[in-house]
Amino acid sequence: MTTDPLDALRLPVVPVDPRPEFTAALLRRIDGHGDLVDDEPITFRYFVTDLDAAVAFYRDLLGFEEELRPSPVFAMLYRGDLRLLLSVPGGHGAGDALPDGSVPTPGGWNRIALRIGDLDRTVAELRGKGVRFRTDITTGITVRQVLLHDPAGNLVELFEPGGGYHERTRGGTIG
Amino acid sequence: MSTVTVRYFVTDLDVAVAFYRDLLGFEEELRPSPVFAMLYRGDLRLLLSVPGGQGGGAPMPDGELPAPGGWNRIALQVDDLPATVDELRGKGARFRNDITTGIGVRQILIQDPSGNVTELFEPLAAYHERSSNAR
Repeated sequence: MTTDPLDALRLPVVPVDPRPEFTAALLRRIDGHGDLVDDEPITFRYFVTDLDAAVAFYRDLLGFEEELRPSPVFAMLYRGDLRLLLSVPGGHGAGDALPDGSVPTPGGWNRIALRIGDLDRTVAELRGKGVRFRTDITTGITVRQVLLHDPAGNLVELFEPGGGYHERTRGGTIG
Repeated sequence: MSTVTVRYFVTDLDVAVAFYRDLLGFEEELRPSPVFAMLYRGDLRLLLSVPGGQGGGAPMPDGELPAPGGWNRIALQVDDLPATVDELRGKGARFRNDITTGIGVRQILIQDPSGNVTELFEPLAAYHERSSNAR
């Protein structure tokens, strides 16, 4: 073993703040999924029967903004970083029948869950505007939540965080 | 980016977590009970609930139980759809259709072990997304 003569000139290793969130985000990024695209809006698609009624519902009652409505069978809305695609079954594109002949329909149980500051007030307000709810407010695990119907029968979950609520904290530096 | 939350119903939690983690790049964040898991993929938070469990899987007031399936779904953007599909097929993933060309995208539907679909899409010319500085 030879000693590197430059060792004497090297600066001492200075301990730095580990910034765990930054490190975790960096490691996640290095760790794989390089083919998956980050920094994009989160996209969710609902099927609806009446596009005008659906756009009005998500825009006027749930705070989405209409971004595009290029055809009578498709609309794109935004609510912060959530991009909502509304497709009419049987239309071109995502509304098309599958190879096995099945045609998409509204409904089912999979859904977006929107975080609300004051669930009681929001529910009272939405009830006043004629929104149909599938449940009353229930207390789940660390959240209070409620399920409402859109005009096509899709479910949307509204929730208000309670004690023990968990959400991954983001450093804000990456991602 | 702020967190966006989506809930899917699944019949077998272990199998579902493995699917979203190993095939679609989600990370397991929490699995506090046998009927609930929380996963992340970037700023998308995916809640997996087993029907009949407490909380999100609880029966409705009229007794109806949530179930997997339906057509509403997450859509995940990928860079190279054919390559991703090949890779996923090699890992045994089931697709509901072949790659189709839609409006501004090409896309495909992957099916999870409980029967839920997730859309994978690759932007094409005329693809529209609100630019980030407009947000």
